[in-house]
Amino acid sequence: MEDNPHDIPLFKKWSQWYLLVVGFLVLLIVLFAWFTKYFS
Amino acid sequence: MSSIDWIVLTVTLLAIITYGLYKSSASKDLDGYFLSNRSMPWYLVLLSIMGTQASAITFISAPGQAFTDGMRFVQYYFGLPLAMVVLCITFVPRFAKLKVYTAYEFLEGRFDLKTRMFTSFLFLLQRGLSTGISIYAPSIILSSLLGWNIFFTNIFMGGLLIIYTVSGGAKAVAYTQQLQMIIIFTGMFLAGYMIVHQLPQGIGLVEALKVSGASGKLNVITTGVTNGKFDWSDRYNLLSGIIGGFFLALSYFGTDQSQVGRYLTAKNTTESKMGLLMNGLVKVPMQFLILLIGALLFTFYQFKPSPVFYNKAVEEKAMSTPYKHTLQRVKDTYDGLNKSQNNLSVAYLNKNSGQRLTSEQIKDSLRGINQQMEQLRGSYKKSIQKALPLADTNDTNYIFLRFVVDYLPVGLVGLLIAIIFLASWGSIAAALNSLASSTMIDFHLRFTKKEPLANLQERAKSEYSKSRWYTFGWGIFCMIVAQFANRMGSLIEAVNVLGSLFYGVILGIFLVAFYIKRVGGHAVFWSAVISEIGVVTVFILNQKGIIGLSFLWLNVLGALLVIVIALLLQIFLPAPKKQNPAIAGL
Repeated sequence: MEDNPHDIPLFKKWSQWYLLVVGFLVLLIVLFAWFTKYFS
Repeated sequence: MSSIDWIVLTVTLLAIITYGLYKSSASKDLDGYFLSNRSMPWYLVLLSIMGTQASAITFISAPGQAFTDGMRFVQYYFGLPLAMVVLCITFVPRFAKLKVYTAYEFLEGRFDLKTRMFTSFLFLLQRGLSTGISIYAPSIILSSLLGWNIFFTNIFMGGLLIIYTVSGGAKAVAYTQQLQMIIIFTGMFLAGYMIVHQLPQGIGLVEALKVSGASGKLNVITTGVTNGKFDWSDRYNLLSGIIGGFFLALSYFGTDQSQVGRYLTAKNTTESKMGLLMNGLVKVPMQFLILLIGALLFTFYQFKPSPVFYNKAVEEKAMSTPYKHTLQRVKDTYDGLNKSQNNLSVAYLNKNSGQRLTSEQIKDSLRGINQQMEQLRGSYKKSIQKALPLADTNDTNYIFLRFVVDYLPVGLVGLLIAIIFLASWGSIAAALNSLASSTMIDFHLRFTKKEPLANLQERAKSEYSKSRWYTFGWGIFCMIVAQFANRMGSLIEAVNVLGSLFYGVILGIFLVAFYIKRVGGHAVFWSAVISEIGVVTVFILNQKGIIGLSFLWLNVLGALLVIVIALLLQIFLPAPKKQNPAIAGL
């Protein structure tokens, strides 16, 4: 397996991908908290 | 099952086997058989990772879990996206640079042979047993629900996939998983749709969610705090999900060969990383939707006659014993409460149309009735246990399939049963492939004399042939385990608990390997042995009720114990020898 830094899809750096994944998790947790509160 | 259901089931399964055999044309050497010649694009890696993790248990047990305990189980997956990020930063580049076949190969270069062997052995033990459970779990449910013989169901469940797994190796596993995941998602979507579709007129998705929420089943986020104190024995909450789930996911995806073997098949590290990161994006929403099916099913049974016990076969047997009258009495009371539940749910939804009770009062009554019904279910199960001492009275795994058999139209029942097979096959096939690769690479090739390089072609052929035999052998072993697996409660938890006994320690070994360079082989090996004993001891103390600790924390405990003990032992041991520059430089 070889890594080619120019092949990163959508973003320029992997760190931006990592931020997206973590940010999406935070968003989901916030949405789930709202969902729990709203329907309880 | 009707004949149309049988046709749907048979055609779907045959299509998968044929497709698997058709895609079996990998080159006949170890690289082709175990790593698909490192040629897979990210989306196949993603589907393969998901197909390996999501066994039949996921699709059968998770809706039942939401039905009985609410949706808080989804928090268990919160650590997974974080683990995907750490894997991409730490594990993937290291495995890629060394071009390893198994994760454990790395440990010999970093530490020594005994640490590699010990870790690989823990993996084989844990994965071999849990794959046996993965065969047994859906088999026992199908055999009970449809009256099939459990012995032959186990063989059918574990045996048919061996045809394409032995023949096609990792490539066949990945391609069949792709097709399996598409069929599974379609079937689960249709099942969810049918639940809402069959609700009484005027009750749609939002109304169903309101009833489910009022009954406390949409508890997606829970803090684990009771009376101002954090409850360490609480299984699923935000903290245990993020921290415990992170350690479990990191260990599972980073050190379990059944997963490492999937992303090692990628054509480069970009494809590996994309597959893992996409998994981090889609896994939590996917699990949320599967659990939502269970929560909706709970609402569904508020408006339809709700069985007091979902395992029909066991219930019928118990009814033919002298406990028949006791059971009938409980059943009648339960049915009465089910009717009140129905009335209250309707009243809750019509709360703005001049009801006497406020919505809060209705909600309290609903929760009160649910509690009473749960208690009745408990005493019903106790009576069954007295009537049939050997029967498994945990019916969580039967809830979703009972709905499938009782309420889904002809054809769809066959498809949903096929999904149980396909989901099983996806994870079992990957497990067999990884068990064989670890046995071949970490043990067989490590301890046998290699043939001279002049016979390279002969050697490749012989290794390929042996690898197929190991795959076959592990398939037989797992089917034997399946024949002995019994009475393990919620099977999705049984697999996770088993994993948690070993994963933390294995992860600890890898974390020391990656991050603490001054610790050598002797220190890490003995710290791993001591830590494993420690984790098993804590688990036993927990089982006996001496301490209260949820199983997810065992992953954290195992990893931390290995790190701390290894650091302490290293103080008394000579400094490790200079490492192989290829590893030291990573």
